[in-house]
Formats: sequence, structure tokens, C-alpha cells
Amino acid sequence: MESTRIERLLDTYFEGNTTLAEEATLRDYFTGREVAEHLAPYAPMFKGFVQAQQEESTSEVKLPQSGFKVKSWWYSIAATILVAVTVGSIVFSNRGLSQEEQEAIAALKQTKEAMMLLSSNLNKGTENVAYLNEFAKGSSTIKHINQFKETTDKILK
Amino acid sequence: MTQKEFLTTVLPIKDKLYRLAKRLLVSSDEAEDAVQEIMLKLWNGKEKMGNYKNPEAFAMTMTKNFCLDRLKSKQAGNMKIVHSNFQNTDNVERQVEANDGVSLVFQIMETLPEQQRMILQLRDVEQYEFAEISEMLGSNETAIRVALSRARKTVREQMIKNYNYGIN
Repeated sequence: MESTRIERLLDTYFEGNTTLAEEATLRDYFTGREVAEHLAPYAPMFKGFVQAQQEESTSEVKLPQSGFKVKSWWYSIAATILVAVTVGSIVFSNRGLSQEEQEAIAALKQTKEAMMLLSSNLNKGTENVAYLNEFAKGSSTIKHINQFKETTDKILK
Repeated sequence: MTQKEFLTTVLPIKDKLYRLAKRLLVSSDEAEDAVQEIMLKLWNGKEKMGNYKNPEAFAMTMTKNFCLDRLKSKQAGNMKIVHSNFQNTDNVERQVEANDGVSLVFQIMETLPEQQRMILQLRDVEQYEFAEISEMLGSNETAIRVALSRARKTVREQMIKNYNYGIN
């Protein structure tokens, strides 16, 4: 009788001593049509195992393209950011000056004006020196006149 | 190892990894997430994978460790996912599974200790040899047989209890 063989297999099964082939026999028996009435309570267990094995993962495996590509992709992002920052900083520096920079430029302007004033005064000064030279010329002429006077005095004597 | 080679090695066992993860984590969403993580880990360590004599066992061990870690951190966060209540049938999936007591088998399996759950899954669902299971779980064959016997007997006990209630 088949059910006695199944009963014996079940005993071994619950002790954890059946082989994979014997377990396959049990599965086939309990998922089949003719299960003895007194063994029916065991059927859901084996049906459950069979059903559990049919379950499948439905998600797709997503893998990174490859190690190198990921890296070069990051490099290009990094390069783009670097260029953007450089260009941006240049544009910004020309447009809006910081408080400090504006003060520095104002100071430079003032210094330039002061220098111009100084140099124009200096030029005036050199002009005056030129007059002084004229005066010196004048005085030397007077000396000549004096010389001339001396000689005329001698002649008069 | 190219991506194609990797996938031909790994895809045939993907469903097995998923089923083990689901047996442990219960939720199918979490099991899918776990499989994705395991795939990435295997991909990142693919150079090493060639050195293992049994990549399938290696992947299974990885899944086991990953899921047990998940469960640990969940318990630490006070999120119990173990259902000891058999009347809890609000899960849609469970209602789909519900036919002639099969869903009850799954519910009973959820109440088993993790080690027994894994062994029952690997032996009775995936039909691995004891030697393979011992490699996957890092445990000796005798201990595995003992745990398997306990798990099977617990399922039987609960099934018969329920079957008798159903009759009376």
C-alpha cells in the first residue's frame, strides 16, 4: 500500500533524515490527486513549499555601467563646476566691487590728485628758480656795470 | 568579469536570494531592496567572486547576513515584524496565497526562529543538500538536521491543530 510507505517516509522526514529524493517523493504524493484521507492534513505543508519555490523577484537588477565610466562622468562634472566658478568669479569681480576695493580705488584717486597738485607746484617752483637765474644774470650784469664804473673813474682821475 | 558574465552567474540565483530574503524579512518590498543591495555588493566584489568555489553559496550567505543585520537594526528601532498572531490576514498577498491552508503554512513559518526559518527555506523550498546548507549558514550538518526536524515538527503541530479546529 502506498500510504504506509508515505507514512514511514513522513516519520523519517520529521526526524530530518530523509534524502532529497525521498522528499521529492513526498512532494509528488501530496501535490497529487490521491492523498489518503488520514494523511490530508500534511498536504498544505508540501503544497506550500512547492508554491513558495515558484515565487519570483520582479525587480530588475540595476548595476552601475562600469567603474571607469562612473569616474570619468564625475570628472566631467567636476571640470564643469570648476570652469563655471572661475568664469563666475571673473564676471563678478568686474561688476560689483567690494567695499574694501572701492575704498582702495578712492584712495588711489586721492593720492593721484595729491601727486598732480604737488607736481604742478613743483613746476611753479622750478619756474621761480628760472627767475632766480635771471636775477643772477642781472646781478652779474650790474657787476659788469660796476667794472665799467671803476674803469671810467680811473680814466676821470 | 564583464557585466554580461556577472549577470549570467548571478541572475539564475536571484530568485533564490529573493525568496530567502522574503522568508526572513517577510515584506516583499524589503526583500526586493535586499536583493538589489546584494547584487551591488556582489558586483563590487566581482573580482573576488571568481575565487569562491561556490558563488551561489557565497551569495546566499551574503543574503542571510544582510537580512539578519536588517532584522537586528529593526528590533533595535522597536519595529517588530514577527507576527505571532495567526488571525492577522489583512495582508493582500496573504489573501492571494490563501487556499486550502497553504497560507497558514507561510504564517507558521514566519513564527519560527530565524535559523529554523532559513533551514526550512533552504531545504524544503529550495532543496539544497545538507552540505550546501552547512556551507551557506556556517553551521555543521548535525545541527542543521536537528533544527530542520524541530522546524518541520512545529509546522506539523500547528497545521494539525488548525486542521482539527477546522473539522470540529
